[in-house]
Amino acid sequence: MTQTIMTVDDSASVRQMVNFTLKKAGYEVVEAVDGKDGLTKLAGAKINMIITDLNMPNMDGIEMIRNVRAMAQYKFIPIILLTTESQDDKKKEGKKAGATGWIIKPFKPEQLLGVVKKVLK
Amino acid sequence: MDGQEEAFKEEAYELLTELETSLLELEENPHDMEQIGRVFRAMHTIKGSGGMFGFDAIADFTHNVETVFDMVRGGELQVTKDLVNLTLSARDHIKTLLDGEGDKDLETQIIASLQALLPAADPKEETVPGGIGKDISKSAPDAPSPLLTYTIRFCPALDIFANGTNPITLLDELREMGECIVTPHTENLPLLDDMDPESCYIFWDILLTTDQGENAIRDVFIFVEDECDLSIECVDNDQGSNVDELNGDKLGEILVKRGDLSNETLGKALEEQNLLGEILVKEKAVSQASVCSALAEQAVVKKQIERRREAVHTTSIRVAAGKLDHLVDLVGELVTVQARLSQKASTVNDSDLVSIAEDVEMLVSGLRDNAMSMRMLQIGTTFSTFKRLVRDLSNDLGKQMELTTSGEETELDKTVIEKLKDPLVHIIRNSIDHGIEMPEARKAAGKEATGTVHLSAEHAGGNVLIRISDNGKGLDPAVIRAKAMEKGLIPPDVDFTDKEVNNLIFAPGFSTASQVSDLSGRGVGMDVVKRSIEELGGSVDLNSQKGDGTAITLKLPLTLAIIEGLLVTLGRGYYIFPLTSVEECVELPRDETGKKSGLLNIRGEMVPYIGLREEYGIEEERPELEHVVIMETNEKRVGFVVDSVVGSQQAVIKKMGNAFNNAPDISGATILGNGAVALIIDVNKILDLRF
Amino acid sequence: MTIEGITQTGQYLAFMLDQEVYALDIMQVREVLDYTEITKVPRMPNFMRGVINLRGGVVPVVDLRFKFGMPATEKSVNTCIIIMENTIDGETTLIGALADSVREVLDLEPDQIEPAPKLGTRLKTGFIKGMGKKNDEFIILLDIDRVFSADELSGVNSAEAHLDTEMEAVGETDAPLSS
Repeated sequence: MTQTIMTVDDSASVRQMVNFTLKKAGYEVVEAVDGKDGLTKLAGAKINMIITDLNMPNMDGIEMIRNVRAMAQYKFIPIILLTTESQDDKKKEGKKAGATGWIIKPFKPEQLLGVVKKVLK
Repeated sequence: MDGQEEAFKEEAYELLTELETSLLELEENPHDMEQIGRVFRAMHTIKGSGGMFGFDAIADFTHNVETVFDMVRGGELQVTKDLVNLTLSARDHIKTLLDGEGDKDLETQIIASLQALLPAADPKEETVPGGIGKDISKSAPDAPSPLLTYTIRFCPALDIFANGTNPITLLDELREMGECIVTPHTENLPLLDDMDPESCYIFWDILLTTDQGENAIRDVFIFVEDECDLSIECVDNDQGSNVDELNGDKLGEILVKRGDLSNETLGKALEEQNLLGEILVKEKAVSQASVCSALAEQAVVKKQIERRREAVHTTSIRVAAGKLDHLVDLVGELVTVQARLSQKASTVNDSDLVSIAEDVEMLVSGLRDNAMSMRMLQIGTTFSTFKRLVRDLSNDLGKQMELTTSGEETELDKTVIEKLKDPLVHIIRNSIDHGIEMPEARKAAGKEATGTVHLSAEHAGGNVLIRISDNGKGLDPAVIRAKAMEKGLIPPDVDFTDKEVNNLIFAPGFSTASQVSDLSGRGVGMDVVKRSIEELGGSVDLNSQKGDGTAITLKLPLTLAIIEGLLVTLGRGYYIFPLTSVEECVELPRDETGKKSGLLNIRGEMVPYIGLREEYGIEEERPELEHVVIMETNEKRVGFVVDSVVGSQQAVIKKMGNAFNNAPDISGATILGNGAVALIIDVNKILDLRF
Repeated sequence: MTIEGITQTGQYLAFMLDQEVYALDIMQVREVLDYTEITKVPRMPNFMRGVINLRGGVVPVVDLRFKFGMPATEKSVNTCIIIMENTIDGETTLIGALADSVREVLDLEPDQIEPAPKLGTRLKTGFIKGMGKKNDEFIILLDIDRVFSADELSGVNSAEAHLDTEMEAVGETDAPLSS
């Protein structure tokens, strides 16, 4: 069964890169431009994993994760946070909110796939 | 990736425009948090994406601005006119960088000014981009570390599921690192009524033998460090002294070391003389799982030590290959003579002789296994010789490619390896020459410029599978079909599947390269490859997807010298079937006798059979009752009618030589204990001939 | 000197096939065995009689009489198997040949050997290296490598043997038994 991954990022180029990399590896990809957009698109959809940026307008990654974990359907899905090295404390905050793991930007396609493989069964 | 670089640039220009507006707003309202956040995010995105798409200079530079605005955001710095001016010039500099220009002096100046804004006491140590990304990128270690065995205890927090972590994926990841034994501990499971299905009550003991080092193991758990108790300990530290200490730790010692058991309880248990594990479990001192896991550790460590000890010994002696060949020949003859001795002993009523014959049989079979194993070589040496070939060829052709290998430790008979080399060279040349595209063509097809040829080896039953796969352009069935028609290899009006068409590259006199290069396409084609593999008793399978690459799988026998066979008779002759594919033997119903082929009802399944007497034109008198040997080959069952079944027989294979090219279904012969010659039947070939 | 390549005294093993004397270069003869049970190999042309066990090795045996278009060998007390070393496709192999009887080892000077006649023999001239003459008797010297070339062994050309002979055509069909 094809698994669907949602990429949430306000940067179109990051979304495009994530999308391209995951599709090539055989995943379906849903794009969202910020946390709010992500939550809207999650409702009623069947998403297996979320990769979200931290800093976004409207709703940032942390808040989005908190909201996702509150949805019964997505209580246990893997959520990966995209952060940069200067946000070490954000990593902890993200974990506290319910993130499964993180990827440090900048990253290469193979690193992204490595993490997806690590958390998505 | 070009399209993505463009996308990044476009986005960056947009962000820079927004940035300008925000900065000008900020100049008016220095405390507008929304604008501050916008500036920060713009810098953040440019930095993050820049690094990803190869604009490292931009990423590095932008990092400085981002740092400053992170502090502004945190209230540690105030927005001043100077800051706005500085940021504006930084913005302009980013733009020139994007345009592909940029003044180094100006950059240094801006960075210095930005850093001057930061509190002096906090030089903001440049944290090296690290973490998970980095760890994965260096997953291919330069120098192989020694194989070590670790014992890992992984106790996830009760609420580990809440973070979306599936502990199973972590265990799977460990399994990929090496030989791995996982023992789950279920003793903490509460009664069903008390159980919260969203909690994780299980913990695991994992015994992992890997060459990747402790840090690589820790990296597996990087996301859950804070949500589990993790202990990793090397239980077999590869110190020279350990090699002589064959037994490793005793069960009790292991349990005490892990804290599963106290020294006193151990002492008490040891006073009773029984199996320690059983006593401890009975006494409820430790759980069954703890004992299992400790026993597993004991076994693995022991095996590891033995393996290392073996390695120490094998490196200490060198024997000329010719001597080994001679030894195997002699052992082969000895097996034959021993079979005669056993047969004679069974007809003479002398119990002493029988017992001697049995001893000899045992010794000979030990000697045979030993002699055979001496000729087994790892295929890795052969693989590594191809590295140079690939390097040289890619230089000559102006292609970029790398050779990756796996399963180097797979062992094969020396003779098989020697005869395998030429076909492998040919296949690899073909992959490089016809398969891998020029770098530009690859990029245009959305692939990495560097092509990959992967060589792998693995055991599959009594066979070894060697696979040569590339991620090149694959075979084009349309081109092959046209070529084959032109050469008259296939009639124009018959439909073939793509796979059948692709297999035509193995047909004699076929060469697809429209431009004959220096490398392949020199007359010796893939037909030669196929023939040499078949001469080794192997087979060739081809899988190719146009655009994605080609994989050729060679299936080879472990050894050419000896097979386990089922001896049968037909007329006055003896024949041998390979025992591995024999399923059962049944009697032939009388009304089926004398047919060249037919169907038999074997417990409800209709199994086709072939009358070997009729097939081989054997005219000697037919026995009262004939038998059918049911074989399974290529997942199909098929029967062969013979006169009688004698029994299993170890056959030292003798080549029949060129004189018998006309008997393709006879793969060789062997000498029986009574001196008679028995012919070895190649079941697949006989089916090819018949169907 | 009458034949290219034969410049010095050679030794030849003479044997009988259907009342005619044939000979082989002694350098190619490994040994001579008494007749032993031959295991037939299916799908082989008739002249390939089968294989024997030679001290643990498997050696194919051919019936030269079949090959040369004579009636098949009848087993007698004198029947024997001559084990020869010859080169097929560049590989040295052992092959056994059935002979009615083995006579002697002959010394032949180069001038005692004449080229093969174009006419008057039962077998392909290509199989004949030359005609030896000793005590007014003609001895056919076989070019055994040619007789046992891979093509010949696989039976491809065996039926043509008769067409090349002007003397007689034995009603022998040994076309390959292909299925």
